[in-house]
Amino acid sequence: MSSEVADQVACTAAVLAKTPDAAVVSNLGVASYVLAGVEDRPLNFYLWNSMGVTTAVGLGVALGTDRQVTVLDGDGSTLMGLGALATVAEADPPNLVIVVWDNRAFATTGGQETLSGTADLAAIAAGAGLEAYEAESDAAFERRYAEAVAHDGAAVVVCRVEAIDPDSRPPADYAHVKRRFREAMTD
Amino acid sequence: MTWRDEIVSALAATDIDVVAYLPDTPLGPLLDRLEETDVRIVPVAREEEAVGVLSGAWLAGERGALLCQSSGLATAINGLASLAVPAGIPFVAFVTRRGGPGEFNRAQVPFGYAMEDVLDAIGIRTASLSHPGDVERYAELAAESAFATDSPYVLILEPTLTGVKDEF
Repeated sequence: MSSEVADQVACTAAVLAKTPDAAVVSNLGVASYVLAGVEDRPLNFYLWNSMGVTTAVGLGVALGTDRQVTVLDGDGSTLMGLGALATVAEADPPNLVIVVWDNRAFATTGGQETLSGTADLAAIAAGAGLEAYEAESDAAFERRYAEAVAHDGAAVVVCRVEAIDPDSRPPADYAHVKRRFREAMTD
Repeated sequence: MTWRDEIVSALAATDIDVVAYLPDTPLGPLLDRLEETDVRIVPVAREEEAVGVLSGAWLAGERGALLCQSSGLATAINGLASLAVPAGIPFVAFVTRRGGPGEFNRAQVPFGYAMEDVLDAIGIRTASLSHPGDVERYAELAAESAFATDSPYVLILEPTLTGVKDEF
């Protein structure tokens, strides 16, 4: 078993560098905290709750735009809504990439272990009918994310990362986050 | 015009772009009708995903509608209470009620019966539709009000409108 993991902050920055015009939908907790710290931009939709629904929100956005849409989900949230992977595979929008930051922990509630130490999320995504990639280093993530963006169909990148506790936070006004995102999408 | 025709007409009149659904027996022929329209139809694995998909559609500038049965809406409460309501994301829902008059299955009763109370407690408006002829007008008004007020609106399709499952 490899002990190497990627840096979630560097990989989030790599997402915005590779796809600067992407609409980004981020899971509650660390995924949103890191994204807000890397760059708080109008095209970020941060979920403040509704764990397990993040990928479905990204699917709804992707079906309604030609723009690149990237979901930054977590292992706990993905496990909570595994059926969404089948839903995404059925719709299969080519402009959707789902990144799963797999830190093997519920990082915002004290780091308790998730089930992803046992469950193979990339294999589950592939089994649902999705193009699935894995990464365990920053360099591998950059390559896999680029492949996922180029893939002609929805794709998942499961990226093994360390559990971190960033200080940055997205705007707390949920209606503001929504309005700002929708205005940027419909400009 | 049947109640299904009324819903098809109301969805067109209110510019609904996308329908997310899980089926129910009375909804099957309605979905067949919608397949013939320009509405994008998204089948989901669990109803809470539909709240996510329709929220995403709204975020992308579109208008959405949910079709499901009452037991399915029960699986969507977290998405409604912790995404659509607090962020203020609108869509219109057409929910067939199980658990009412004619119900044979006691497992359908608690949520089917309490649906309005649960939705009311999290701040979501409902209206109950039981008469053909009322459906189109209610559906149009509910959809326009949902999109004007940035909140979901749930229309409950009663078994006296849609027909009961005949297991007696």
